[in-house]
Amino acid sequence: MSDYAIRLHRTGGPEVLQPEPIELPPPRAGEVRIRQTAIELSYGDVLLRTGALPATLPSGVGSSAVGVVEAVGPVSRRRAASDFSVGDRVGYATVPFGAYAGVRNVPADALVPLPAEVGDEDAAAVLAKGLLVWALIRRVHTVEAGETVVFHAAAGGVGLIAGQWLSHLGVRAIGTVGAPEKVRAAVDNGYDEVVLYRHDDLAARARDLTDGVGVPVVYDPIGAETFASSLDALRPRGLLVSFGSVSGPVTGLDLGLLAAKGSLFVTRPTLGTYLPDPATLRAAAAEVLGLVACGVIRSNLRQRFDLADAGKAQEALEARATVGATVLLP
Amino acid sequence: MADYGIRIHETGGPEVLRYEELELPPPGRGEVRIRTTAIGLNYRDTYERTGLYPVTLPSPLGGEAAGVVTEVGEGVSGLAPGDRVAHATGPLGAYATAQNVPADVLVPIPDGVPDEAAAAVLLKGLTAWYLLRRTYPVQSGETVVFHAAAGGVGLIAGQWLRHLGVRAIGTAGSAEKAALAVENGYAEVVLYREEDVAARVRELTDGAGVPVVYDSVGAATFENSLDCLRPRGLMVSFGNSSGPVTGVNLGILASKGSLFVTRPTLGHYVGNRTELRAAAAELLDLVEQGVIDPNIGQRFPLAEAANAHRALESRTTTGSTVLLP
Repeated sequence: MSDYAIRLHRTGGPEVLQPEPIELPPPRAGEVRIRQTAIELSYGDVLLRTGALPATLPSGVGSSAVGVVEAVGPVSRRRAASDFSVGDRVGYATVPFGAYAGVRNVPADALVPLPAEVGDEDAAAVLAKGLLVWALIRRVHTVEAGETVVFHAAAGGVGLIAGQWLSHLGVRAIGTVGAPEKVRAAVDNGYDEVVLYRHDDLAARARDLTDGVGVPVVYDPIGAETFASSLDALRPRGLLVSFGSVSGPVTGLDLGLLAAKGSLFVTRPTLGTYLPDPATLRAAAAEVLGLVACGVIRSNLRQRFDLADAGKAQEALEARATVGATVLLP
Repeated sequence: MADYGIRIHETGGPEVLRYEELELPPPGRGEVRIRTTAIGLNYRDTYERTGLYPVTLPSPLGGEAAGVVTEVGEGVSGLAPGDRVAHATGPLGAYATAQNVPADVLVPIPDGVPDEAAAAVLLKGLTAWYLLRRTYPVQSGETVVFHAAAGGVGLIAGQWLRHLGVRAIGTAGSAEKAALAVENGYAEVVLYREEDVAARVRELTDGAGVPVVYDSVGAATFENSLDCLRPRGLMVSFGNSSGPVTGVNLGILASKGSLFVTRPTLGHYVGNRTELRAAAAELLDLVEQGVIDPNIGQRFPLAEAANAHRALESRTTTGSTVLLP
């Protein structure tokens, strides 16, 4: 079959995701052509397709994939020889919109090498979410052994990786989930305590587990629905890391609330700010993939779809019919 | 000898401050009586007088003073009659010739620090301490922004930052205040009425922005302060002189560079006696060494506290003001 990609010409249901043949130009200076072997399916891809995330159409879809270097762009006056050679196994997670493709040109600065011990599918399933977890627990707030922290949406893709990593670091993790059937997955992935955030009193539980003090940090991708209880779970001078808003954005904040609830800190990080240059990206990816290589972080890869069936894959994700991670195979 | 103090029976203008004879009970359990020697005047005293900060009437006034221990209540250890002490985190009642104060809020005054210096510097200095040493611990060589550089906390912060080898960019409302800020340690002062503070801060940092902005102005400066920050920088909002910051969409922190925001209060940083004493010791040691000058600009007799309030509210004071019993 000739090279193909899935591109978005209009937003809508899963049916708008159709494969189409592509004619790829040779990689330019600073670029590398990758023959892709596994592509991450993420909820952001669904939001792009439905129009919830604004995009200029036509647009590529997908942000993270792995594969093998097939060609390297020319050396130019401004660009030294690439760090990568034909045949290298590589991945990327920070090149927006276009990963749903059999072959692709991407900036070499965005590539990370894959360790021999990590398979392509596992790498594709873990890389983007693992980098986000790295930023959250190693940079936004650097967790320490013996700390107790709260991580919302513990059974989500990011939450499952965070639980395993926190457990490895000796951190006691309180996870939250939205439904009782997700408790098991969270516990199996390193969480010491799991709270149903719609039913249980998170703040009371967090205080019970910390001698009444509260936790130094809460990681919250849920947004509006959990904002107040997240603040209440914090100890004085604690940090709320709001890294998503699946229940709606947090708006209308009166800063006085941070004073009243204990001189609290709030941040709203984006991954790009924490990966400002290729050296940082590669160091972070090496840390993530190293933990996958030695078995500390499992990918929880449960579903594989042909890339041509990306619409079906997204449908399953939207219907919450998937568990763990999903990859698309070209 | 009878004791006297200022009380208010109604909220309002400076005229509601009444100088009255006090009947002080003996110090209760955990309390110490002090004979007050100098009282710090703070802008928040006027908020309590006008009712902006609610008080139960009739109410004593004043939150900062220095004095000498005259009597020790039950259960108090480590304090004895004759000790020189100061406080800035206790209950209202500092506007008086004598006061019973919880022992836990008292800090010792070093020999080389006069009482009126301790009374003038303690509250503002503890504020500067937590901002610069705890909320965001500044590092030598950094550049930071401090709003209202010629205000009470600003003047102490400038001297402290200079001592720590930090390059401080202050903001001020007039050339006269800018000159005062420079005398007190600021490397640069931006006149916020005439210049875009964020644009000037970018110029002064080769486009990079600063790791921290200390902002007591509030609503009027909030967004501009965020624009002064480098990626992952911290906005410390510690006051509301232009009105409170409300209606914040957290998304703005993401779009302006994964920023952090905090709204600290002193109590959460000196919440116990150990923390308070360590903070005060660090501050008063710098006063003793001459690194931090309390900049006492005026002294009023305690009985004339109303005149002191009038001067403060008409902005005719410079530096800090003390009341003397």
